[in-house]
Amino acid sequence: MSVKYVPVQWNQNKWLYDGVLVALVGAYLWIFLRVAPGFLDHARPVDGAIWNARAFGTCAFLMMTVILCIGPLARLDRRFLPLLYNRRHFGVITAAVAVTHAGFVLDWYLAFSPHSKFEALLFVNTAYDRFIGFPFEALGIFALLSLLILAATSHDFWLSFLTPRVWKALHYLLYPAYSALVGHVALGALQDQQNTTFTIVVVVSVTLVVVLHRMAAQRERRDGDPLAEPAEAAWEAVCQADQIAEGRARIARLSNGQRVAVFRHEGRLSAIANACAHQNGPLGEGRVVSGCVTCPWHGFQYRLADGCSPEPFTEKVPTYRLRLENGRVLVDPKANPPGTYVEPVVIPAEAIV
Amino acid sequence: MEAAAFLVEAVRWWGIAGAVVAAAFLAVGVDRVEPNARGSYIFRVLLIPGVILIWPLVLWRWAVLEAGRDQWPLRHAPPRRAHAKVWAVMAVVIPLLLIAALSFKQEWPADYTPQKIGETPPAGGSR
Repeated sequence: MSVKYVPVQWNQNKWLYDGVLVALVGAYLWIFLRVAPGFLDHARPVDGAIWNARAFGTCAFLMMTVILCIGPLARLDRRFLPLLYNRRHFGVITAAVAVTHAGFVLDWYLAFSPHSKFEALLFVNTAYDRFIGFPFEALGIFALLSLLILAATSHDFWLSFLTPRVWKALHYLLYPAYSALVGHVALGALQDQQNTTFTIVVVVSVTLVVVLHRMAAQRERRDGDPLAEPAEAAWEAVCQADQIAEGRARIARLSNGQRVAVFRHEGRLSAIANACAHQNGPLGEGRVVSGCVTCPWHGFQYRLADGCSPEPFTEKVPTYRLRLENGRVLVDPKANPPGTYVEPVVIPAEAIV
Repeated sequence: MEAAAFLVEAVRWWGIAGAVVAAAFLAVGVDRVEPNARGSYIFRVLLIPGVILIWPLVLWRWAVLEAGRDQWPLRHAPPRRAHAKVWAVMAVVIPLLLIAALSFKQEWPADYTPQKIGETPPAGGSR
């Protein structure tokens, strides 16, 4: 949560996350370069730069695969939410690993060209009219550029400045980037593989990414947020009051496409937008902690009555008017501007089973 | 080669334009449009690469915020449907790409005997 921007808002969890990640990357590179050259079929005498390029390249591929798996895993099982917490740092480290891979490639394969190595990279293969032999370098450039954009726009400032909607749209680049990366690997490194180890790794990685996303999409279709029912005078019915557990919320899709989260706290109901002001995380899947809704993604907090973060923080979410009618929770689908106070509705004893 | 030189030159000019935008935005604009940035300076160094990479987007958002045209409802409307569509396409494209690349993979000649340039090839030993 922000009052004034700092380069990185470090806390114990982020130190732990980044520490474990860097240690794993270091361990992978060490094993690749020092322990398992025979197993990975680079026992043949090749130059150190090539070994390094392979080590960092495969590491970046695996890291992108893990990044893509974290989203669906967190949707399928809340125990994976801690992995989501600092995923942007994961992305920045991945970009650094990928840049290192590109550096080794440029400084070895293209270092002796009479032209600049960047120009040479672009014209070394121009067979764009064929599939096998397609310039896989271009796919790698696209993936690397996308990773750099994602990493360079990972600070919280960008979420606020661009808005979460535009930021997320920009960060969908991850999907075409991964597709390009698979093409880069499949039309490049895998074409030259005589050992099948890395081929198997790539096939398993791609299968994992596709299957996990498929499972998460099925879960979304099956258990997705229900549509609110039309009620009188343009109000919409979300659920029965006794269906909301204490300290929790029910989420509903309104007829205007917005999602509302109706929370119950100390016997009173409040309705706020389901999208967190930070990264549009699902507030309705969070819990009430110390009287504030806590986003399950990054822990941003909001007061229930006015949708404002507690002082000194400045984030706000829209609120909704609501009322009870025969135990049904009705919401006015027209959202109030972020931070608008709405008196919580007391749940009468007879409405609670 | 001309196309490659043009592309590299275009990237250079993109970077120069981005650096100019970054200097203006981080010196003047960011304080005007982002309250949490006021009085905070060190973090701006981290923004420089981002501004250089996406400077047209930065100029657009800067203009929107300066003109007061920012629409708060859009800040709370994540593009969830787009996510499903993007992923649906990728779920087909990625496996197809991999399967095609492996199916048409050119096999390395297993019986190839390396030879030095200038040597007479052994009978039937090389291609």
